[in-house]
Amino acid sequence: MRTVPRIAAAAALAGLLLTGCTGGGSGGGSGDGQGGQRTARPQPGTLRVLAGSELSDLEPVLKAAEKATGVKVVPTYSGTLDAVQQIASGQADRSYDAVWLPSDDYLRLHPEAARRIGSETPVMTSPVALGVRPEAVRRLGWDPGKVTWAQIGQAVTEGRLTYGMTDPARSNSGYSALVGLASALSGAQSALTEQDVRHAAPALKRFFAGQKLTSGSSGWLAQAYARQGSVDALINYESVLLSLNRDSHTDLTVIRPVDGVVTADYPLTLLASAGTDQRTAYTALTRYLRSPGAQQAITRQTLRRPVVASVAPDPRLPAGRRRELPFPGSRAVADGLLDSYENQLRRPSRTVYVLDTSGSMDGSRLSRLKTALAGLTGTDAAPGERFRDREEVTLMPFADTVKGVLGHTVEEGRRQQALDAIRADADALRADGGTAIYSSLQEAYRYLGQRADEAGGDRFTSIVLMTDGENTAGESADDFNAFYAALPADQRSVPVFPILFGDSDRAELQHIADLTGGRLFDAVGSSLSGAFEEIRGYQ
Amino acid sequence: MALAVLLAGGIMAAVLVDRDKGQSTATTTVRGVIGSEKADFFADPDVVRAFADHGLTVRTETSGSWAMDSLDTSGYDFAFPSSSAPADALRSRSKDPGGPLRPFYSPLVVAAHRDAAEVLAANGLATLQSGQPGILRMDAYLKAMQKNTTWQQLRGSAAHSELTGTLFVTSTDPLSSNSGALYLAAASYVANGGAVVADSHGVAATAPLLHKLIAVQGAQQSSSDAPFRDFLSGVGNPLVLVYESQVASLLVRHQAGELGDLVLLYPDTTVSSDHTLVPFTGNGRRVGELLRDDPRLRQLAVRYGFRPQGDTKEFNAAAAPYTAYLNQKLTGVRQAPVPTSAVMHEIARRARDEK
Repeated sequence: MRTVPRIAAAAALAGLLLTGCTGGGSGGGSGDGQGGQRTARPQPGTLRVLAGSELSDLEPVLKAAEKATGVKVVPTYSGTLDAVQQIASGQADRSYDAVWLPSDDYLRLHPEAARRIGSETPVMTSPVALGVRPEAVRRLGWDPGKVTWAQIGQAVTEGRLTYGMTDPARSNSGYSALVGLASALSGAQSALTEQDVRHAAPALKRFFAGQKLTSGSSGWLAQAYARQGSVDALINYESVLLSLNRDSHTDLTVIRPVDGVVTADYPLTLLASAGTDQRTAYTALTRYLRSPGAQQAITRQTLRRPVVASVAPDPRLPAGRRRELPFPGSRAVADGLLDSYENQLRRPSRTVYVLDTSGSMDGSRLSRLKTALAGLTGTDAAPGERFRDREEVTLMPFADTVKGVLGHTVEEGRRQQALDAIRADADALRADGGTAIYSSLQEAYRYLGQRADEAGGDRFTSIVLMTDGENTAGESADDFNAFYAALPADQRSVPVFPILFGDSDRAELQHIADLTGGRLFDAVGSSLSGAFEEIRGYQ
Repeated sequence: MALAVLLAGGIMAAVLVDRDKGQSTATTTVRGVIGSEKADFFADPDVVRAFADHGLTVRTETSGSWAMDSLDTSGYDFAFPSSSAPADALRSRSKDPGGPLRPFYSPLVVAAHRDAAEVLAANGLATLQSGQPGILRMDAYLKAMQKNTTWQQLRGSAAHSELTGTLFVTSTDPLSSNSGALYLAAASYVANGGAVVADSHGVAATAPLLHKLIAVQGAQQSSSDAPFRDFLSGVGNPLVLVYESQVASLLVRHQAGELGDLVLLYPDTTVSSDHTLVPFTGNGRRVGELLRDDPRLRQLAVRYGFRPQGDTKEFNAAAAPYTAYLNQKLTGVRQAPVPTSAVMHEIARRARDEK
């Protein structure tokens, strides 16, 4: 069977792309094509599309489109914010003919990206919504058709509702949710201003205290929700929530708050650099995608809303109009909102980096690790690309045993010093000795338990495991399984995010991720810095 | 008949057209840069055929109309922006002595959902008569904008939960899109006391209100198609600025079903998109003349909802079944002139500005 090529050669992004398939889960995406090659040059009848990761659920529709129009779509999946960076830098011009993101709103705020795009054709829509467990809806006494953001905010503030949401710095659904929440909770009557954001900060902070789950992608959020069972609700696109109900029988009640939503309109967007053949292909494809037949397939298969009035939305989609909350019109507001979320509003993180510094790391591997860590300590880095204010960061280098526990807290007033200190610790890492993965992980869990007792446990807590080889020393996998099973429940909810690197054993690391509810990131043959950055979305 | 031997952008083209059979034995390729609103028209196979019958193959590329005056137009036979002001700016480059041609036009109108239109009418911001399109009272609308009026403050809005937040019309980005710029042209004319803004004094006097019209919208799209598509799919603001042609083309092609509960509100002071062709070469002029005079091309322009200049019979015949949507004779609608390109750029820049 022919596979759909989808892997970027661009080293900096390959780590993101390999793990970027999320989607609503209809099985269109994962598994096929991981060994493919991206089409390097434009080809007649082929559109190379840089696409939002959740669009993998459109593959059946795109196959039908190819049959009908002869236009083949070669997608490469990426997060919205990463895609905007690629477009702005001009990198996308060399590798793609079109981009297809949930929304171009964020893109348009970046003039250097906005000037590189041409025609935009909205293909389908989905509003950001709240999916709530039915028992929580009953407990709160809500009429799902009449709930307001203010009511949701109040339930969260009173401790009667907890939820999970994707990271606004990584994912368009998270960012749209943040815009919607800030608009609704600030009482802003038109597009958000910096003053609105300041004004809403206390209410937003109370609201984000109820966020118990964060994720760099919609797909993992859904998995974590199904696993944890401790969260009452998810904030995501209506289509993602309804797909979750369809595929995982989650039975979420999907609420579109009556006081407004932010809606993704999925514009298929031609890059200004595209050639004549690609323009022709684009026109044929968009015409097809807006035809009644394709619109019907889209709404039925992906549970998004059609953009053609003559096609009725799938019956599972609730009727009734909603006010559209305006998206910020300036980059200052948009980035300011993101910055506030990261550094002031959200619950702070507590992260332990369990870092393999065994002998095999010596040389380029160790220097790549140092570079990756240093990359997260830049004070002028974009939101989501550095350690956040209030974050507790602990480096735990290990070989045969843990070599040291290097703890730091990034306090707002002493941000620079803390980041400098983390960089200095990273820089001082030396490689020698064996590889005791499981013993070191146990040490990390014990340390986190101790920190929770000393400094409180109300934080997004997680462990990153970076190793370049197999376990050669200390405890075994079985020992670790038993250790983990015996942990108290709050500690068991701490996920491990292993990074596949060098000669590490995929099966071994996948097991650790599965056991602890984490996720495996791949930095083999690609950028370790990229993996470190992507993991930020989960921390 | 031998048409001409021409030097067009350094390319020599010899053309022979056999008029008796209405078929070309060879065609001349004519290149033009056009506003994106006309891309579908030029791509229509019937339009292609109509030009071919006159020995022409028209190749077009799209550009924002207001960006054309900064475009390198060498190699083009014509430019076809969607407004007369950028055309005037382009004219200085034209070696063609005959001046620009205006084959068709389309007024700017506001697409409203039925509930929103009725609430506006109940509050004196619009007039509605059953079975007819409405009129948006620009003066009252701009006053409401000035006062930051919200839907909640309007009588009758409570029954419609989606009608909350500040009342405003969604437009496109005035810096990059013609319809967005023309929205400000119409509003500036009203705000300037019924006179076209012609100098820095007028720009300064109208800037605060125009800035508000844009700032409340937040992010704006850069082409008029996208917000209209969003509107038709029930997403976004209930009031969206569109070209009449966008609605008329759906009607004329029997796609009224796409319009849902749309009500068109014609602003009592509006601006028309005067599709103005600036010829750079004789072949460019030929394209403009055919669009203006050829009966088949005039009819095809109507298919895309445009109003051909001069005789109104083609448009009126096509619009006759749809008088519930279209204001055939533009009764009660005043056409405001558009500021010059330089003034318009300044108006748009100040409206978009952060401060």
